Amino acid sequence: MFKALVEPFRHPYPKEVIQRQEGSGRKPRAKARDWSGTLGRLWGYLAQRKAKLTLVLVMVVFSSSLALLGPYMLGVAVDDYLGGSGGQPWVWFLVGIGLVYAGSSLTSWLQNIWMIEIAQETVYRMRSDLFTKLHALPISFYSKRQQGEIMSRVTNDIENVSSTLNSSAIQIFSSVLTLTGTIVVMLYLSPILTLLTFIVVPLMMFGMRWITRRTGPLYKQRQKDLGNLNGYIEETLSGQRIIKAFSQEERVLREFRTRNAAIRKSGFWAQTISGFIPKLMNFLNNFSFALVAGIGGVLAIYGQVTVGVIIVFVEYARQFTRPLNDLANQWNTLLSAIAGAERVFEVMDEDEEAADESGAQPIEQVAGKVSFSQVYFSYEQDGDTLEDISFTAEPGEMIALVGPTGAGKTTLIQLLSRFYEHDNGIIAIDDKDINSIRRDSLRSHMAFVLQDSFLFQGSIRDNIAFGRLEATDAEIEAAARLANAHSFIMRLPHGYDERLGIGGDGISQGQKQLLAIARAMLANPSILVLDEATSSIDTVTELKIQEGLQRLMKGRTSFVIAHRLNTIRQADKILVLKDGQLIEQGDHRDLLKRDGFYSKLYYGQLQEQEEESRRSDES
Amino acid sequence: MVLSFIKKYRVAATAAFCMMLFELAVELVQPLIISKIIDDGIAQRQLSVAWIWGAILVGSAVFAFAAGIASSFFASHASQGFGYDLRDRLYEKVEGFSYSVFNRFATSSLITRLTGDITQMQDMLFMGLRFASRVPLVVTGSMVMALVVHVRLGLFLTILIPVLVVFVLWMIRRISQQFRTVQQRLDRLNGVIQENLSGMRLIRVFVRRDHEISRFGQRSRDLMEGNVRALRLAETTMPFVLFVMNLGILAVLWFGRMDIAAGDASIGQVVAVVNYSLRTIGALSALSWIMTSYSRAAASAQRVNEVLLTEDSSEEEALDHKVASLQHSLPLQGRVEFSGVSFRYPGSDLRVLEDISFQVEPGQRVAIMGATGSGKSSLVQLIPRLYEPTRGIIRIDGRDIAHIDSSRLRGSIGYVPQEILLFSGTIRDNIAWGREDAAEEEIQTAAQQAQIHETIASLSHGYDTMIGQRGVNLSGGQKQRLSIARALVRRPYILILDDSTSALDMRTEAALMQALDEFSCTIFLITQKISTTITADLILLLDDGRLIASGTHEQLMKESDLYRRIVESQHREGEEQHVQGAR
Repeated sequence: MFKALVEPFRHPYPKEVIQRQEGSGRKPRAKARDWSGTLGRLWGYLAQRKAKLTLVLVMVVFSSSLALLGPYMLGVAVDDYLGGSGGQPWVWFLVGIGLVYAGSSLTSWLQNIWMIEIAQETVYRMRSDLFTKLHALPISFYSKRQQGEIMSRVTNDIENVSSTLNSSAIQIFSSVLTLTGTIVVMLYLSPILTLLTFIVVPLMMFGMRWITRRTGPLYKQRQKDLGNLNGYIEETLSGQRIIKAFSQEERVLREFRTRNAAIRKSGFWAQTISGFIPKLMNFLNNFSFALVAGIGGVLAIYGQVTVGVIIVFVEYARQFTRPLNDLANQWNTLLSAIAGAERVFEVMDEDEEAADESGAQPIEQVAGKVSFSQVYFSYEQDGDTLEDISFTAEPGEMIALVGPTGAGKTTLIQLLSRFYEHDNGIIAIDDKDINSIRRDSLRSHMAFVLQDSFLFQGSIRDNIAFGRLEATDAEIEAAARLANAHSFIMRLPHGYDERLGIGGDGISQGQKQLLAIARAMLANPSILVLDEATSSIDTVTELKIQEGLQRLMKGRTSFVIAHRLNTIRQADKILVLKDGQLIEQGDHRDLLKRDGFYSKLYYGQLQEQEEESRRSDES
Repeated sequence: MVLSFIKKYRVAATAAFCMMLFELAVELVQPLIISKIIDDGIAQRQLSVAWIWGAILVGSAVFAFAAGIASSFFASHASQGFGYDLRDRLYEKVEGFSYSVFNRFATSSLITRLTGDITQMQDMLFMGLRFASRVPLVVTGSMVMALVVHVRLGLFLTILIPVLVVFVLWMIRRISQQFRTVQQRLDRLNGVIQENLSGMRLIRVFVRRDHEISRFGQRSRDLMEGNVRALRLAETTMPFVLFVMNLGILAVLWFGRMDIAAGDASIGQVVAVVNYSLRTIGALSALSWIMTSYSRAAASAQRVNEVLLTEDSSEEEALDHKVASLQHSLPLQGRVEFSGVSFRYPGSDLRVLEDISFQVEPGQRVAIMGATGSGKSSLVQLIPRLYEPTRGIIRIDGRDIAHIDSSRLRGSIGYVPQEILLFSGTIRDNIAWGREDAAEEEIQTAAQQAQIHETIASLSHGYDTMIGQRGVNLSGGQKQRLSIARALVRRPYILILDDSTSALDMRTEAALMQALDEFSCTIFLITQKISTTITADLILLLDDGRLIASGTHEQLMKESDLYRRIVESQHREGEEQHVQGAR
């Protein structure tokens, strides 16, 4: 029994994890860089509901003062009516208090309800603006950043702003009002008792500092240990097959236990010490209660204060420490929300995809002639460039792009689809400079079948109709048949209505490719871009994909980032790229005759090097 | 089940709870003491009474503080210990599952149960010992104390409070329903964002911007409306409760004054009852928060329990056979025989394998071919008993593998799965993962055989290079070779390669095959490449779970139509092996 009682103070929890952090204990989670600017823009959103916002502020003033008036009137009731005989009729006085209470409830209800509406509308508008912006940003924005990071701005940061606007904004304002109001009334009623109540303030400051200085590093440590443990759990459960097949259960269990013990230790100290905070606040409440009651009682005997004043003070003392603590907490959330808003605004300030040239026209019919003449391009940030690219693809031709990774194959395609703007030279479609064509119109004549055939959550039908929303069921089915996708779709339980999960979950890699081909087929583009798959797909499906692609390419100008010799040999023209330069072009036979880079590539002398770069590309 | 894990910490938990009760008692007597100060001190002009009771108040506050600090230690100990034990037991349980039982749960759900769910329960226990149980006690305590102070006035509280509590609980249920809807809508909205970010290029090319923006707008509006509705309901509760409670206070004042006039009550008593009412209000406002944490923790407990109570018959069976297996402690040689083996995944009606029979001599190489979903991976998974066949017998060296102790069986098998599973740590750790006691020399030999030694040597930290989340990113082919090395270091008698050479080029693959030939073990190789099957001693051609052809390359060329078609299609790709060079 005794052993169990002292256990928490010793055995599994050596203290070495506790360390003090210098400086102020309360640190905002993330600092905003441009405070006033961010606040100003946030205000710009809020200000669209100025009238309602003003009403909210008025309500906060009312509710805070009524909240102060309640206890005061209670004190008067005790002094004048319970103790004495009072001035006005007792009934009227009670009705008065009742009205104060009702008013207090009503105003605080209204302020919250209205603020919620304002906050949610604001966040809704921010979300919409941000999302629209995401679609206006150039593709280079996405290649520079991790998807998770953008995702976090659109979700977490906005949620952060949302919850702060919901409650913290009002609470900070009303805490400040209540605090000053309380102090004023307290000073008016009894300066001596006020002074007594103030004794707890330095105690609180000191105590909180002592605690937060320790909990900061402890939480960091706990977070680290937790990450370690969770990472290990995730890894070993995902790799369970290997653990079983190698019968390594014992060992994994052993390593798990070390990590589990670590989190127990740091978790214990973090929880224990942060657990002091409410106890401290409680103590301060009790302490000021005791001071006010005891010394107030003595003062009352000397006739310095009345019983009513003591009652009021007991209530106020409680109202005094709470907003003080609230304020500190809310302040932190407010700061992190501002930092969140700043990250959101950062995205909104990114340069958009350059606007279409003035006078850019939509393009109606495209035959499919594509020509590059002396095209130059370089990315701002790194060295990948294209230099002096010139070639012409006649309508219906198949162009194979060949070359090591990083040679500029993808960049060339990105210029054609105007994901990036070339620096110099002219890219033309049907002899029309693409800069004079509206971007949307240009792209609507192109279709992509990429290695990672991205599918959306939704039915198979929706996914095929992705490029042409108005397509009829018959058209969709026809496209699927041509793409060799129809037969596997019909074998699915719900056929064309089968729903796919996020990223097309539910069907195999090869089937995804078939759907991507059907999608491109339905879009009926004049220009086609194919990035051949390198992943291993079983032979039968592979045959189907090949057949589908053949049909798709027929009669369209197609650019193929080629990996298969088969494809390359069939190409009407092969563009051999190396280090951003177009070093050879021609058909297979021409190029072999030339005995240059291509033939070296072909005869496999660069095999090893090429393999490596391709693989590091995949991973 | 889950709750029994608290037993071990009952002393600490009880201590924490007692400390909390002590604090609570101190708080509850405060209004009583104040009524004493008013009635006996101020009214009677007794200075000493005010001093004494004041000192008692200060002293009790200090004691309550000390108790609070101590309760922090006790509650932490109980909850952290509880979490530790529960996590330990749960993990042990999960690791002990046979692979088929393990697969009954989604991996991600098991991860959540081991991480989030346990933390949730642990936090709830901590809170429960310190605050949560306090709220009902404050409420009932206040009612009782009010009755003690003055029966008639206290009666108001005893009537009013239960009604309010029921009201609050009812509201909480409605509110949490609303918030569940909000959460669903938020998930859906985030799903749209996620998809848009991943498919941004495609959306641009297919000019779908306006459609996506309107789809997003719809979801976003749904979310906003749900949020407003839920929050509005939530914000209505407290002002209403506050108002009703305040009306109660007014009633206490009204009747209190009548009682004072009649000489039935003192000012101090009325004040005390009012004070208890005020305290109840504070406690009620914490109720909603406690209810939500409680229901979350309860859901977590249920999920954890589900795992803990899962019975795993096959593992027990394995233990029974342990004794039997001791008699056969000779090393395995690698003769593998399937006779009439059929297999269905547990809980599924789909026949994955049907009536498979074949025999492999020690040291032979078996190539397994077939379309996706034809049962290739399932077949090889039966050999290390990751799953048990539903019918038929698998024999190794003439013994039914069901009668071989699974750890000894698996100890003789090297398995390289299709998906690459490496662990965070150094390259050496990852290779030695196959055999903990492997010497440096053995690790390097395995790496050489797997054709990865040179690549490793070229890295700046060599075998000490960290891989995984915080380390070097290896290419797909390098990872494959690493997992092959991990299998080879075990010096297995049976080696299973589940399509593990797909990312290797011809030359490396050929070198690997040559190294494996010297290795003299039975090899099962799942492959799509004809170049690999040509040299195999036995080719198994699977279609839809049935073994439709088996034999050598020459035999199958003669006998199997499908095999010929596959061979032809790959020849069309280019019989020249340097095809790869153009990739």
